Amino acid sequence: MMAETAPKKIDVTVHKPTPYTFDLGLLLASDPNPLLLSTPENIEDDLAATARDGAQALLNQLLETCPIQSTPAGVLLSLPGIETRLPREKPMPPPKAQTTWQKFAAKKGIRAKTSEEKKNLRYNEDTGEWEKKWGYKGGNKREESAWIVEVDEKKERERKEGTSVQGDGRRDRKEKVRRNERMQRANERKGRKNHGIGKET
Amino acid sequence: MLRQIKPRNARSKRAVDKKAPKAIENPKTALILRGTTCSQITQDALTDLYQLRIPLAKKFTKKNDIHPFEDPSSLEFFSEKNDASILLFGSTSKKRPHAITGIRTFGHKILDMIELYLDPTTFRTLAQFKNKKCAVGLKPLIVFSGTPFEGPVSNEYTLAKSFFTDFFKGEPSDKIDVEGLQYIISISARDSVDGEEGKPKIHLRVYLVKTKRSGGKLPRVEVEEMGPRMDFRVGRVKEADESMMKEALKRAKSSAERPKKNVSTDIMGDKLGRIHIGKQDLKELQTRKMKGLKRSRDIQESEDELEIDVMSDAEEAPIKAKKVKKA
Repeated sequence: MMAETAPKKIDVTVHKPTPYTFDLGLLLASDPNPLLLSTPENIEDDLAATARDGAQALLNQLLETCPIQSTPAGVLLSLPGIETRLPREKPMPPPKAQTTWQKFAAKKGIRAKTSEEKKNLRYNEDTGEWEKKWGYKGGNKREESAWIVEVDEKKERERKEGTSVQGDGRRDRKEKVRRNERMQRANERKGRKNHGIGKET
Repeated sequence: MLRQIKPRNARSKRAVDKKAPKAIENPKTALILRGTTCSQITQDALTDLYQLRIPLAKKFTKKNDIHPFEDPSSLEFFSEKNDASILLFGSTSKKRPHAITGIRTFGHKILDMIELYLDPTTFRTLAQFKNKKCAVGLKPLIVFSGTPFEGPVSNEYTLAKSFFTDFFKGEPSDKIDVEGLQYIISISARDSVDGEEGKPKIHLRVYLVKTKRSGGKLPRVEVEEMGPRMDFRVGRVKEADESMMKEALKRAKSSAERPKKNVSTDIMGDKLGRIHIGKQDLKELQTRKMKGLKRSRDIQESEDELEIDVMSDAEEAPIKAKKVKKA
């Protein structure tokens, strides 16, 4: 009513000898001042007054310090984290057990490849150029594409029939891939329940 | 102790997983129980407390022969069976009239208990206040007033504060609708006065929050009592075991807690880094060049002998090194 007749501001501040402490994550305010109660008959009014002051102080603090966001759903306040230490309901879950691979890797000191190591690109010091590690024009095929190869006579005598020194590099590379796949399958089998015995068809 | 269930299908596995301990926990469920004797007043009070905590509450109406401070094992059973970690137990006896015991559990074992005796003369239920009630499931504002709640040493009142905060905090959320700030729970206690019998009462009041335009940016707040109205006397208390409490206060490590140091973003969205470059060597500082200030002159004038020594040392050193190599 006052606002209609004259634009007079209503007091919205709360003055207390000791300031409130807030935990905005819980929407909680604590008023450490002694409770002011005048007479036993007036207790309800006094309690309402303290509650009003508390609500005012808490709302002021919320609206002043929390970031406000207007969305179609409504005006949202972002609350900070909870500071009050409240007990948990259940103990913290135990840390997850290490997998066989993790144990092995820790023992051997194997680390996950960095993003740089995972890239299929490597600097070649000799040529001063960047080359691919594998695939089309990959660095792993450099030996295979050599146009002149020294022949080791000793090895030549033990050579399998139908093969020649020309395809050696490629054969070695392919064999390495196949070996790796074999190991992978064996590991998978070992990792399965019962080591894959009985279930394998 | 309930038997351990091994999930045999996806549905039961989901149910078991839901109950399993988690780093970031589910909101606590409150279970409301009554003893073999429980006055109508206490029952009404329990119903109202239940109303305030819906939907994170369960209320049982059957009589239970439980004495929480004597033998809490059935409470532990109830806690485990219903996955509830806050229990409210109402009972009445001649010695302890209108008692409401608040119990918190940790890992389905009793953590702490507080017994509150409801004052039957001042008690008013939620329904006795004829006004509009707030919506169900909203987070309340909580205000504790009075010095007893601020004690540095844990006592009945700090326990009550912790318990009521836990009871009324609702579902955790990082964002909240301003429209949802509809009611306030005010819990207050007077200072203890010398020469007065008993400890000060805990007054629990629930008010609707009404905001008015104040002419400024912040609104003017008015309150209107919504109910329930409860006054409690503090009764028996079982404080938490220290080691158990320590375990219970553990928090999950979160990556968000530690922000990256010395890296910030400005309003344009550019990433700014602050780096540490040691202390500047002021001896090397280039001041104004003047003939009179030349360093060579300085040395020539005052330390003629010393410079010669240094020079000769410098000449000898490489020769020595060469000799070593030869040998």
